[in-house]
Amino acid sequence: MPWYLYLALKQLFPSGRKFPFFTAISILGVALGVAVLIISTSVMGGFGHQIRLMTVDTQGDVQVRADGFINNPDEVQAQLARIPGIVATTPYAQGMVGVLHNSKAQYPGIQGIDPARIGRVVPLQRYLTPAGALSDLDDDSVILSVQLAGLLGAQLGDKVEVYSPLLIEKLKNDSVLLPRELRVVGIFEFGHQALDSTVVLVTLRTMQDLYGLGGAVHGINVKLEPGLDADEAAARINAALPPALHLHAVSWMDINHDFLFVLQFERNMLFFLLTFIIIVAAFSVTSSLLISVVRKTREIGLLGALGGQPWQVAACFCCQGFIIGAAGTLVGLGLGFGVLAIRDDIVHLFTRLTGSEAAMLRFYQFSHLPSYPDPAYISATIVCSIVISTLAGLLPAWRAARLQPVEALRNE
Amino acid sequence: MSEAIVTARGLTKSYLSGDRHIAVLRGIDLDIAAGESVSIRGESGSGKSTLLNLLAGLDSPDAGTLAWGDDPVAAARRAQFLGMVFQSFYLIPEIDALANVLMASRIVRAPGEAERARAKELLASVGLAERAKHLPAQLSGGERQRVALARALMNAPKLILADEPTGNLDEHTGDAVIELLLGLCASTHTTLVLVTHNATHAAKTGRQLFLRDGLFS
Ligand SMILES: Nc1ncnc2c1ncn2[C@@H]1O[C@H](COP(=O)(O)OP(=O)(O)OP(=O)(O)O)[C@@H](O)[C@H]1O
Ligand SMILES: [Mg+2]
Repeated sequence: MPWYLYLALKQLFPSGRKFPFFTAISILGVALGVAVLIISTSVMGGFGHQIRLMTVDTQGDVQVRADGFINNPDEVQAQLARIPGIVATTPYAQGMVGVLHNSKAQYPGIQGIDPARIGRVVPLQRYLTPAGALSDLDDDSVILSVQLAGLLGAQLGDKVEVYSPLLIEKLKNDSVLLPRELRVVGIFEFGHQALDSTVVLVTLRTMQDLYGLGGAVHGINVKLEPGLDADEAAARINAALPPALHLHAVSWMDINHDFLFVLQFERNMLFFLLTFIIIVAAFSVTSSLLISVVRKTREIGLLGALGGQPWQVAACFCCQGFIIGAAGTLVGLGLGFGVLAIRDDIVHLFTRLTGSEAAMLRFYQFSHLPSYPDPAYISATIVCSIVISTLAGLLPAWRAARLQPVEALRNE
Repeated sequence: MSEAIVTARGLTKSYLSGDRHIAVLRGIDLDIAAGESVSIRGESGSGKSTLLNLLAGLDSPDAGTLAWGDDPVAAARRAQFLGMVFQSFYLIPEIDALANVLMASRIVRAPGEAERARAKELLASVGLAERAKHLPAQLSGGERQRVALARALMNAPKLILADEPTGNLDEHTGDAVIELLLGLCASTHTTLVLVTHNATHAAKTGRQLFLRDGLFS
């Protein structure tokens, strides 16, 4: 071991003495920063992960769309079924409608689905927690999102009136079309605002009826074998489909590109801001090491007299920063993952103390705090904290290296 | 004539004090042969420490030449050519006596078993075999200076430069340290330059020099 590393270790952890206060505080400062970074990026990542899962759960892995409509969905699905890696497909059509109930009107998005096929692509039944069953959906019924049901005051078994844009077309031609009366057979809730905005689900036939689509659909949702990359699969599907059909496959990541970007951006910003905790801790390391350089001026002079080179003296203090950074990172990782391991207990204790358990469940819709530690963020945290701590030793190191042995030794 | 250890010719050094140059050394000539022991006395401020720092290569003269053995002074040679002892002991407080002695060799290269054994031997020769594991704070002034002595001898240097090594010690302890220093240098055939205010200590060295007005008188 080079002498400067040896001395750095000894100055932080002197032999035969109890743990020095400075070392403990410095390591703890860095550790707190690391722990906060680990905890918040993991929890944030947990929410993000859940949202991604929900997105796939609602949209499938890949969507196959045409430039306009897909007029022959059965034929296209038969083509798709021959492509390896595709587990199931289900067609959909979508649009906007007006929904009236008890003289309350809403204008939600509408999705036409194939109740017989959809279950194999997206686990819709899992989200029908508020009420109802997917199997009850027929051509005279509708499933509402929980928010829409709330706004309309509609409950299971109620009838709602659905107006499609086709009615307006007909009105122009002086013919009258009556709205469709549909029975509410289910209420779904995905648990996330962005996915849970007002939507109604009807059978594909009802939707084709409302929009006058005939047999056409807007697209086909594709479920892939688990573990396949959606982007690659989309590319493969595009290559396999005959160009004459004018179809293109898009992965769920591409479809939700903007939303995923925002999620990622939020997380990066959080990481960036929380890194300042480590920087603040590093400043205190710098000031402590500077004090140590002043206090040890004569010993530094002696090291020079013993033949130590200025760069080695500098390295001694840089190493102290590095060691504090490394130790603080280790402790911080332990602390961070420790807290993540008992996060639910902490949340429950907190909600019980503040009496906000019910509110927590209602507004955040989790009884369990998600955590998804992302190796990329963990590595970034480790690298950042060690680099920043080592930089913290730079100024003291420079001061120490500048000391002339003669001057340092005269310093009485 | 035996091997030359220090050859100095016309060493001068002055300091700027305000806007005045104070000439501290005004052309020192000095030849010290291997195995010699030389004492330097002089009033406070006469430039003894300044001269010693020049001889140690820690500071450079304004004019004049200086050689260690047959070669000019070079910082890279210092650790193995000479050992220093100061009025203050300058032990590293975080490590024990043995590690302090070993520090001198550590700076040259990572110490092995041979170095460890030598450091223990040196501690024994300064009478501190039992105190090897004690931190500097647990040692008395005299004991600390003896550790510093062992450290100065660690790399088996050709030359020991001692700047008032008894300055911080009581008379009795000081006498003992000087006896030890002279004895160890004699037995290892190490050349010694001793700066001291004490005439008795100076009288025990082979050659006595007196620094006055920047020159030996
Ligand atoms: N870095 C410096 N800047 C200015 N003056 C200096 C410096 N170093 C030494 N001097 C001056 O040089 C002179 C000699 O100093 P030096 O320390 O060599 O004296 P000394 O003989 O060792 O004295 P003492 O016996 O008190 O240790 C003193 O007048 C001192 O003030
Ligand atoms: Mg002096």
